[in-house]
Amino acid sequence: MWRSESSPQGPAKQSRHTREGGCPRTPGRTAWLVDARLRGRDGLFFKGRVFVAAMALLLYAHAAQAASALAFITNQGSHDVSVVDIAQRRVVATVPVGRSPAGVAVAGDRVFITNPDSRELAVIEPGSARLLGTRPAGEQPLGIAAAPDGRHVWVADWQGQRLIGFDTRSLERVGEIALGRTPSGVAVSADGQAAYVAERDDDVVAVVDLPARRVKARVAVGKHPFALLLDEPRGRLLALNVQGDDMSVVDLAALREIKRVPLGRAPYGAALSADGTRLFVTNQHEDTVSVLDAQSYELRRRLEGFGHPEGVAVQGEELLVVNWMDDELSVLDVASGKERARIRIGTNPRGFGAFVATVP
Amino acid sequence: MHHRSFRPLLALGLAAALAGGAQAHGPTRQKVVEKVTIEAPAAAVWDQVKNFEALQQWHPAVAASPATQGNSVGSVRTIALKGGGEIVETLESYSDDGRKYSYRAKDGGALPVTNYTSTIQVSPEGDNKSVVEWRGAFYRAFPGNDPPADKNDEAALKAVTGVYQAGLANLKKMAEGR
Repeated sequence: MWRSESSPQGPAKQSRHTREGGCPRTPGRTAWLVDARLRGRDGLFFKGRVFVAAMALLLYAHAAQAASALAFITNQGSHDVSVVDIAQRRVVATVPVGRSPAGVAVAGDRVFITNPDSRELAVIEPGSARLLGTRPAGEQPLGIAAAPDGRHVWVADWQGQRLIGFDTRSLERVGEIALGRTPSGVAVSADGQAAYVAERDDDVVAVVDLPARRVKARVAVGKHPFALLLDEPRGRLLALNVQGDDMSVVDLAALREIKRVPLGRAPYGAALSADGTRLFVTNQHEDTVSVLDAQSYELRRRLEGFGHPEGVAVQGEELLVVNWMDDELSVLDVASGKERARIRIGTNPRGFGAFVATVP
Repeated sequence: MHHRSFRPLLALGLAAALAGGAQAHGPTRQKVVEKVTIEAPAAAVWDQVKNFEALQQWHPAVAASPATQGNSVGSVRTIALKGGGEIVETLESYSDDGRKYSYRAKDGGALPVTNYTSTIQVSPEGDNKSVVEWRGAFYRAFPGNDPPADKNDEAALKAVTGVYQAGLANLKKMAEGR
């Protein structure tokens, strides 16, 4: 079962045993993950097992190159989802969904879309681009994230002030947790134990104990946090503060903000490069993308020429940026920052969440 | 507790809640993009629009448009419309090289919008033609669900479109010397 590399949680955490879901797409990414594991351990036995696992993953990744990576972009103005074949640089399908679609998450072999204005969750089968159905989802479902095992998605209800869990196969509700004001961005930990939700108007991130179905802590961040990105190999959560024009770096162990990083105006989306060394953040009001060092958060570069950039994702060595004003998806080379393609999609596209899915 | 006397109130309350919640059409961000091609070089057209406070000179609906700090970021322009009404805008970015500037208005004033940002840009098209693009992003004036007709999304779109179209049409006339 695939988990998209570009999920907002960032690169998946390696567990001790063979991971169920999520395979690295490129050898570079594998190397970074393997290195992360080796850093804390000694012993030939452990290193030997990791080596075998790494070789298996490299072979799998190579074989998997034949699969297609598709971007599912929510078009809030045209009330549909543009399905973009990234390698072919073209829209291969347009799926009408509910009203004003915004959030997107990929769980196993399903794509989930939030429709805040028709108060529902829409489900798409990615290979065929078929709408499988919809379910009522609170008052104004907005942010959404998938649990790494692909069995659940968690939806932030902006108006209803709650987090709602759905089973990704049966589409039944599995839980509901009361939240503070205007919950927006959601991220789920790799072990599925915790969810993080930006409570925008309260300027905090709620930490949800998923098994216990309750908020266990709140972390004060900057002004109006909206999108979140988990960087678990570094033990951090990143919160983009739309009004503060900056980013809060939250230490996951201490559940405390440890750094405030200045960004451009109205930062809206963030994604990590495949090798985990670079962080990309869209600055919606100034039409730029900040490229930061993912460890130190030093600004490396600022990419220009976007039109109200919002959602962002990384697929292999390419950066995908959703331009809300231009109704286009930009495809850029991660290493050089050069634009390789601009693809016309629907109206007022948001792409709020992890919007890349891989189909065989 | 006299439950019987509460029932009509309860019924009214339920009806109100159901009616209010039935159309949860919260405001979504809207945009307008208007373009005009002008038979004049970009430099000449830019000269007409480049000063933030010069809006009154090329927009037919504007009676006055003084700005507090010229073309410096943070400059505040107060637009007085012919026929009444005011819009206050703050300059957010300015590029003479790029022939563009952006500004915002948290409160739309005379326009039925909120959280309004706008960019105007002049681009060359060959030596003797240019394209002027004026685009804005905003929310409607009414923040809740079920807005009245004069404060809904359509009203916001119509008002901003009207401003851009009238301005660009007149700019074209002026720049082409008609």
